[in-house]
Amino acid sequence: MNDSLRRTLLSPFFWLAFLAIAALPFVLQSYYLHIVILALIYVALASAWNIVGGIAGQISLAHSLFVGMGAMVASALFLKLGINLWLAALIAAALSALMGAIIAFLDWRFRLGHLSFALVTLAFAEMGEIVVVGWDFLGGASGLFLPRDTGQFLQFQFGGGEGVLWAMLVLAAACILVNVAILGSPLGYYLRSIRDNEQAAQAIGVRLLRNKMLAMMISAVLTSLVGTVYVRYLTFADPYLLVSPVITIEIVLFATVGGLGRAGGPALGALLLVPLGEVLRGKLGGVLPGLHYFIYGLIVILVIRLSPAGLLPLLERAIARLRRKQPSPQIIANPTARP
Amino acid sequence: MLTRRTFGLAAGSLAASTLAMPYVRPAVAQGSAVRVGVINSMSGNLSAYATEGHPAFEYVVNKINAGGGIKSLGGAKIELVLADDTSQPARTAAEARRLITEEKVSLIVGTLLSSQMLAITPVLDELKMPTLSIWAGGTQSPWMFSLGYPYDRGYAQTMHDFAVWLRDVKKFNLKTFASTYSNYEAGQQTNKFLVPKMKASGFEIVGEVPLDTKATDQTSAMIRLRAMKPDLTSGLVTPRDGILMHQARFNLNYHNTVFAGGTGGYTDLSLWHDLGTDIGKAVLTKNLFGMTGFSPGAKVPSMQAIIAELRDVAKLKLIGQGAIQAAQGARVLQRVLEGAGSLDRDALLASFKKVEIPFGDPDLYVAKPKGLKFADDRMLTDGSALFIQWTPEQAQEVVFPQEFAQVEPRPRA
Repeated sequence: MNDSLRRTLLSPFFWLAFLAIAALPFVLQSYYLHIVILALIYVALASAWNIVGGIAGQISLAHSLFVGMGAMVASALFLKLGINLWLAALIAAALSALMGAIIAFLDWRFRLGHLSFALVTLAFAEMGEIVVVGWDFLGGASGLFLPRDTGQFLQFQFGGGEGVLWAMLVLAAACILVNVAILGSPLGYYLRSIRDNEQAAQAIGVRLLRNKMLAMMISAVLTSLVGTVYVRYLTFADPYLLVSPVITIEIVLFATVGGLGRAGGPALGALLLVPLGEVLRGKLGGVLPGLHYFIYGLIVILVIRLSPAGLLPLLERAIARLRRKQPSPQIIANPTARP
Repeated sequence: MLTRRTFGLAAGSLAASTLAMPYVRPAVAQGSAVRVGVINSMSGNLSAYATEGHPAFEYVVNKINAGGGIKSLGGAKIELVLADDTSQPARTAAEARRLITEEKVSLIVGTLLSSQMLAITPVLDELKMPTLSIWAGGTQSPWMFSLGYPYDRGYAQTMHDFAVWLRDVKKFNLKTFASTYSNYEAGQQTNKFLVPKMKASGFEIVGEVPLDTKATDQTSAMIRLRAMKPDLTSGLVTPRDGILMHQARFNLNYHNTVFAGGTGGYTDLSLWHDLGTDIGKAVLTKNLFGMTGFSPGAKVPSMQAIIAELRDVAKLKLIGQGAIQAAQGARVLQRVLEGAGSLDRDALLASFKKVEIPFGDPDLYVAKPKGLKFADDRMLTDGSALFIQWTPEQAQEVVFPQEFAQVEPRPRA
């Protein structure tokens, strides 16, 4: 275990936040619970994407493929072949890892630049959607409908909102901790060197294929597992939501607004923007259709204008400024000592 | 100069003021009222349904309120609480949850196409909320009823019956069949039921042509279809795919197959606008019949009356299938509330099962020769629709079924 991970695991703030969120089902009503679950899903997705997109600097737009793999493939294996959903989730995660490895290999083999990589991964995502919509086994355009969640844990059921929130909280925390662990490990240094200058990284002995593949596989597995929990929560596996490249755009947006390449940045972005989007739509959607999009867009522009590096650095600067302004206890104890 | 501070202040004020807007409600909304949640796709790619339907729905609801409200509830007025799901099924479920738990509505109504119906199902089951969908092709929840056409006895059966009628009664020479459908949820479902029905009725199936809903050109699909040489093609086609399909047919000069499908891709009024008059005349008036739930020329007096009212009194500009279906939804809502006599959810559910609007009733706006009533699967017992043909003057003439027909079908060219 590296120092960063140990520090995070021993941090009272981390556990306080964890316990506070875990206690929310006892105080929140159904609708707000739903918003928290959705926010946690995107915390996990954005954090998983950050391993590739933020730390390694590879702007992958193929992550809808991994969400879809976890959601549609696992659901199909369960519904069509009778495979237990836990096992189906693991199979889907393994397939996602394989797909991630293939994409990373193509990137390495053909020396794709950042833009080419983004376009190739987008093409993969589009192909994935076409395959799902056209393949009956995966539900086609109609999607798949899972049986109602009655809380049978061995059947990958969590008993509705509260249970899903706790499951997602564990998964989201795991995704953040994996980010922390990677950032403090040699893999994290390799990935950042690849992000900053791929040729230079290779020149000093960083193994491009191995590290890119590892990052993509870890990210794909985590994303796929989140996809399975997401579909279990929704019950309806909708291909136009779960395999649509739009979901990747949302993930990238949350990660960017929160702070790319930082362990807590994507989580912060998702925790702020998901509830904001939901509440804006709930309050304004029926009054003036489309207005919530406008307000949401305005706020995103405002954030990017104020802090192009994301909200996390902005927050850190604000905290540092506060600490500087705060008088030391000795000065308070002796006001006459002030200059 | 625009500083970060002023920009932030202005944006913050705008956000705060708009967030406060929903709380500014007229006083009449309080008091004796039945709160009905309305989930529509007011933005996004499915917004056409609600854009056309909601004004008609609201007009009929206002008329009900002006006429004394719901009598069995002491004249309670219907208060609509609107929600926009932005055409995303997952958000339909979220909005349903919000309307039920936060807005405390007694019932939900919405355009709710099939994918939205599937997404909302777990929420309805969990929170036990009676719901009326205007368009879903099926219902999975015991709490949801739909006015939409069932894929099987609605879309597929009507297309099949029309084809058999053309062949057997009108003596069209139709032996081979290929399905052409928009490759999305409803298109695939309808196709799944249509092909076996056609086969069972003696048509030789020569192929299937799914239309890619993201394509910007359907020429390759039409070349494929032409190569199969079917006498007849049918299926569910969206307005957008219909426009591209007919454009491709015009470019390929492909007219000898009989096109008899539904709904928007064959009968939407926007076809003429998007195709242009010349292309429209060439492809829409020759060997083409379209399935629709509504046609201005249909011989249904109550339908004619609501069209005139929406046009002359409500001053609505867009009166198509969406408007009539939504207006019908408002009348069903009224009957459910009147029949329940309370806002108890079980009573509302029982009332849905008892709704019956016979043919000839002034409140029956859709063309249902057997009247409007829900079957055990919570879809309409009579899922039939009309078939029309276009005239060069861009008007529709009903040709099927016989009881609503204005003219004979134009012979195969």
